Amino acid sequence: MVRNIDDLKILVHQFHDLPEEDWEALSKIWTPFEAGRKEIITGMGTKEKWLYFVTEGVQRVYYYDEHGHEATIIFMYAPSFAGVLDSFLLQKPSKYYFETLTPSKFLRTSFQDLDELMRSRHNIETMIRKGLSGTISGLLERLVELQCFSSEEKFSSLLKRSPHLLQLIPHKYLANYLGIDPTNFSKLMNSIKIR
Amino acid sequence: MAEFYDQIKDMKSVNSEELINSLEDQVSKHLDQAIMVYQNLSEAQLNKQAADGGWSIAQCLDHLNAYGDYYLPQMEKRMASSNLPSSLTFTSSWLGNYFTDMLDPDKGKRKMKAFKDYRPAVALDGHAVVAKFIQQQETFIRLLRKAHYNNINKIWIPISISRFIKMKLGDTFRFLIAHNERHVRQANRIEIKTTVQA
Repeated sequence: MVRNIDDLKILVHQFHDLPEEDWEALSKIWTPFEAGRKEIITGMGTKEKWLYFVTEGVQRVYYYDEHGHEATIIFMYAPSFAGVLDSFLLQKPSKYYFETLTPSKFLRTSFQDLDELMRSRHNIETMIRKGLSGTISGLLERLVELQCFSSEEKFSSLLKRSPHLLQLIPHKYLANYLGIDPTNFSKLMNSIKIR
Repeated sequence: MAEFYDQIKDMKSVNSEELINSLEDQVSKHLDQAIMVYQNLSEAQLNKQAADGGWSIAQCLDHLNAYGDYYLPQMEKRMASSNLPSSLTFTSSWLGNYFTDMLDPDKGKRKMKAFKDYRPAVALDGHAVVAKFIQQQETFIRLLRKAHYNNINKIWIPISISRFIKMKLGDTFRFLIAHNERHVRQANRIEIKTTVQA
């Protein structure tokens, strides 16, 4: 728990250099939370009550509808924030599912607690704004990749960015995230072995 | 032909929740093995015959998938249609115990020959086989979690080789997982050259 809170401190200070008293206040609003493999933490239609900080495990946020369409939007792993961010910040029902892919551990805080700190402490609001700006950059980059890159390019970009995922989660989720066919994904797996 | 309900001689009772949790742990280990190792192997590695001419990794998993194809939907169907309350304890039946012990690699050392319908093909699409195995173990975990609210003592599953013989849901879980363990170990004995990833 102590080490986890230290990891959180490192992350928020990467976003914004928080004065010590603001960090003190922020560090007090987190509680530990655990979930097993393949558990849906936030379901579609429910309001995201928590902001999660991942300390262990891999999770994903995905879209799923009655026609069987499935889109893995994002993977989350330590040390980063997790959850359905738009539902959390807007306090509106989630359009997505947030589920664990491996047994996972988190620190989490409620919207009320974070909102109160953002209202009373300017530096905390700035930290959140900067953190979200980074998230938006990441999402825009991903949109470009999805539209412009070939399957091979998407695959090698994933290998560069997060090679550890190959041994942590079933490849079908990686293929779905890249928007490529699982069969195509195995062919790409085979080609890196031969090279 | 009359249906044969296998409850000739009852065995010792165990706590249902503890049993289901320990079974989930075992399935979780098989799933981890598939995710960490099998899915990252090449087609050649997955299809490499064992040194003694025995099954390849793909064949071991394909053999297990064939059982999953039959039992997972059977269990799911019968669990969904039952509204019996869960039972605190589970008592293995004679046949359930016999099957589980026979397949348990620590107890049944004897080499067995697979039933005709369960002998895998020689050339397989290795990655498709692994993907299916992973899918099945995920389903298995989902069913085990659901089983906490089902009666694993009183739901009966017809066995694949003779639909007239029925086995308790709890025993079906046990023998399937012992069988998975047996062939996962067999797959792990196959020596494959692991290449360094690019």
